[in-house]
Order: sequence, then C-alpha cells, then structure tokens
Amino acid sequence: MTAVATSRIDVTSNGKTWHAQYPELGTEPVPIEPYISPEYFALERERIFRKAWLNVGREEEIPKPGDYLVKDLPACGTSILIVRGKDGRIRAFHNVCSHRSNKLMWNRGGSCQMFACKFHGWTYGLEGQLTFVPDEESFFDLKKGELGLTPVTADTWEGFIFINLDPQPKESLKEYLGEIGETLKGYPFAEYSATCYGWTTELRANWKILKDAFQEAYHVAFLHKRSLPDSFTSKSNPFAHGTDCKLYPRHRKMSVYGNMEHRPTPVEEIASQFGSLIIRNDFSMDRLPAGVNPTRNPSWALDLNVIFPNFFVDVSDGTYFTYNMWPLAVDRTLWEVRAYYPKAQSAGQRFSQEYSKVIFRDVIMEDCSTLEQTQSVLASGAKTHFVLQDQELLIRHDHKVHEEFVGFYKKQNKKNKKGVTANV
Amino acid sequence: MSERLLPESFQDLEPFAAAWSLATERERNRQRLSSTMEEIQAFYNALLPRMEAVVAYLNQFPLDSMPADAQQLLYLTLSLAEVAPAVELFKQPSVADGYDAARFVQMHK
Repeated sequence: MTAVATSRIDVTSNGKTWHAQYPELGTEPVPIEPYISPEYFALERERIFRKAWLNVGREEEIPKPGDYLVKDLPACGTSILIVRGKDGRIRAFHNVCSHRSNKLMWNRGGSCQMFACKFHGWTYGLEGQLTFVPDEESFFDLKKGELGLTPVTADTWEGFIFINLDPQPKESLKEYLGEIGETLKGYPFAEYSATCYGWTTELRANWKILKDAFQEAYHVAFLHKRSLPDSFTSKSNPFAHGTDCKLYPRHRKMSVYGNMEHRPTPVEEIASQFGSLIIRNDFSMDRLPAGVNPTRNPSWALDLNVIFPNFFVDVSDGTYFTYNMWPLAVDRTLWEVRAYYPKAQSAGQRFSQEYSKVIFRDVIMEDCSTLEQTQSVLASGAKTHFVLQDQELLIRHDHKVHEEFVGFYKKQNKKNKKGVTANV
Repeated sequence: MSERLLPESFQDLEPFAAAWSLATERERNRQRLSSTMEEIQAFYNALLPRMEAVVAYLNQFPLDSMPADAQQLLYLTLSLAEVAPAVELFKQPSVADGYDAARFVQMHK
C-alpha cells in the first residue's frame, strides 16, 4: 500500500469545512425539545403540514383515467383522494363526503368510474362533482353544484405528485422546490421508476429523529459496520465524509462518498455484473445531469436530496430511493421507504435488483433499531441538546428551517421577554 | 417421488427447491429467518458455484414468459440474494441488532 492511499483525502469541495461555508448557521448544539414537546408538535401540524407541499405518490401509480390513490394524513386530520381525470389531469380532494363527512374511499387506491360513499350512497365523478344523491327530493334546497368534493391543490414535479393543504398556497410547487428541483432535471426518473419496491413501518420515534438519521453519513462506519464495511468508507476517508453539500432556503443536498476500492462479497460480485448496485466503479457521469454529483467526484455513491418537510429523493446511477416520514404523534411516525429500478430485461438484471434491494432493506433495519432506541431515552432529561459535527450540517440547517415555519422559540422569547437567545 | 421443480440440467439443486424456490420477498425473508445458519449455508454453498451457469441458462428466456421450471430456478436465485447478507455480513439469519422484520411491511408483492 502506498503512503498516498493511507493519508486522509480532502473530499470537501473547496477545502473549507461545511460549516465555514454557512457561517450564519453557527456551531452551537441544537435543542432536543422539538423532538419531545407536544406543544411543538401541535405547531408543526398546523404550520408545516398544512402549509408546505407534500409528496403523496408518483404518476406511474395512477397511469389511466379513473386510477386513484388514497393518502391518509393523520397529522393533518384528513385523508386525500388523488385521481386522474378523464382529461388525464391529476386532481386531489379531501376524501370526505359532502353529506355528513364520512370518509369516502377506505382502500389504498384502485381504478373506478365514480366514487360512491358507503354510508348513504352519495356519488361523485372523477372531477369531484356530486353526481347522484339517493332520495334527493327529501333534502331541502339541495344545491348539488356546490356540494362537490373539497379540492386540494395538486401538482407534479419529475413525475412526483405533491399536494398542498393550504386553501391558497403561497407558492407554486415549482417556486417551492426552487433550485433543488432544477438540479435534478434530466435525471431519468421515468426510466428508473418502472419497478418500485416499498416498505412501510410505524416507528416509536419523532419524525425528525428519522430525518436526522438519513441526512448524515457519520453513522455509517459504526451502525453499518457489518452491512457496509467498506462501501462508504475507506482508509483515506474513514468517517464517510461527503464529497459536497449545498443548502437551499428550505431544502438541501449532500453527495455521499463511495469507495471505488470496495471489495464485493461473492454474491455482490455476481450481482454487480448486471448493474443496479449503489456502489459501482463503472458509474457513468454521462448518465447523470450536471446537478447530480455536482463536483463530478469519481469517488461518488449517491446524492441525498432532502425536500422539506418530509421527503427524501436519494439518487444514484441505475437506481434511486425515497423516504416519506409521516408524523402520527410527537413520538410516533409512519415511515414509507421505496427503492426504484429500471425494468429488468433479463434474469441477471432481476437478480441484481433483488440483491440491491435486500441489502438496502437490511441496512435500513439497522437504522430502524437506533431510531426507536434514541426516542426511548430522549425524554429522560439527561440531555437538553444534540452536539453536531461539521458533517452533520444538514441536521443543523433542518432545525433552522423548522423554526422558520414553526416559530416556537420566537414565541417563547417574546413570552419571557428576557431576550434569551434560543439555540436553533 | 414428487415431480421435479427445476430444469433437468440443474437437478443438483433440486433438494433445495422445495424450501427456497419462493415467489415473494416476504416468503423468502421468512424462510431465511426461520432457517438455521447450517441450512442457509448449505443452500448458499450449493447455489453460489452454479450461479454463472444458472444465470446464463435463465438469460435465454424473456423475463415475463419463462417456462415453469426456469421460473422456479429464478426464484431460487432470488433466495440467494435474500440469504447473502446472513452469510456474508451478519453471520446469523437476521440483521444483527436489527429491527423486527415483521414490523417492516412490504407494500410490493
């Protein structure tokens, strides 16, 4: 082994620490209170989930007119019906009957010509209009034209369907996503979304504990020492320092280092002949738009794209995966994990995708344990703050964005009028 | 003797087919978690050296219209993907210090 190989490499974009690039964020510890406070959680429900754009699916899930998805949003006290109309447009509605507010569709999705309420048979068309009321003449001055389903603003970006529960969203989806949306333009989402494997689990942890865990790679060398012994770490980069990071007003991204000297296991070696793996030394910059792996680092594995408030789109060459974290209570979260692949053309490719998927799933199983263990002691009061290192900058930035939406500490400071600066 | 599941040229793998030729991830994962390391290792040791021949054989068929015995052989390879982390990484059937697999629910088939 040469001396060069054992010295630490500088994987940062310009030699500066990440925090030095964003001095306005400071370096102080960040408070634990937002992860355990019921008051904070109530504000998140109101000021984040009822205001921000939320990813609720992909266009491929509802390809034909009449195809629909049901998305329950307990944190917002509602359920959303997302449907493709006869005109091909995707619309969203509160999944609530106009009669006595029964939940209209109870399943997770399907295909239909109309929506009929199970309670009294009120029926709605694909564009939300009320089309039929049994025993209509017994009602008093029923104005059917005004009793359609309550619409919810919906739009798409790169095939991802978003909704916004604000009756009058302050920004369009395009404006809301801003620059991070632009950086992913040209990534082959449509091609890679042919096959989707998804899992869901209800975790006993605050939703931000989940978010934090997936916007840093510092934990890889320890938590994933068995599953990923040398994929994201190497002698020259033992702590999985990222190759780049970029913070936007609300969103952020990080390029994750990949060890091109990674030694595959015997089964991985076979799988690697057919693509689909995240660590691959044959990855092609040509297949990736300029906004992905923006520094064009040859030791690159994937980019994390953290879209506020609860959506991750993590892209690699040949596969991408997404997370949606849906809070249920201050200490409970419904988590959806999805891994996407192009359509397998051969048995070899199918095998390769299966191996990639299984490894991904097992790695996530290591993460899940930690998330619940953390939450189980958070309320102990033993600690009041998290201590963050340079490579945990994205977590610090998330705290800032949360506070901008929630205004919890601003309110507190006003209350005690002592001008004590909260560490956010 | 029961009917063979796998193609004739892969009869050496037939003893593993009943247990490991499984159509869904859920079934394969359950089989992994309910097997001993000895059973998993025996299956791994038998299939790994045959994978080159198996994949070459399977690749001659379109993925969506395989003969039934080839389909069973493909399922067998997917079980190799399922047990690989147990053998190669965790040295035990389940994820070491891992989450309860029953709580991680597949949304796909």
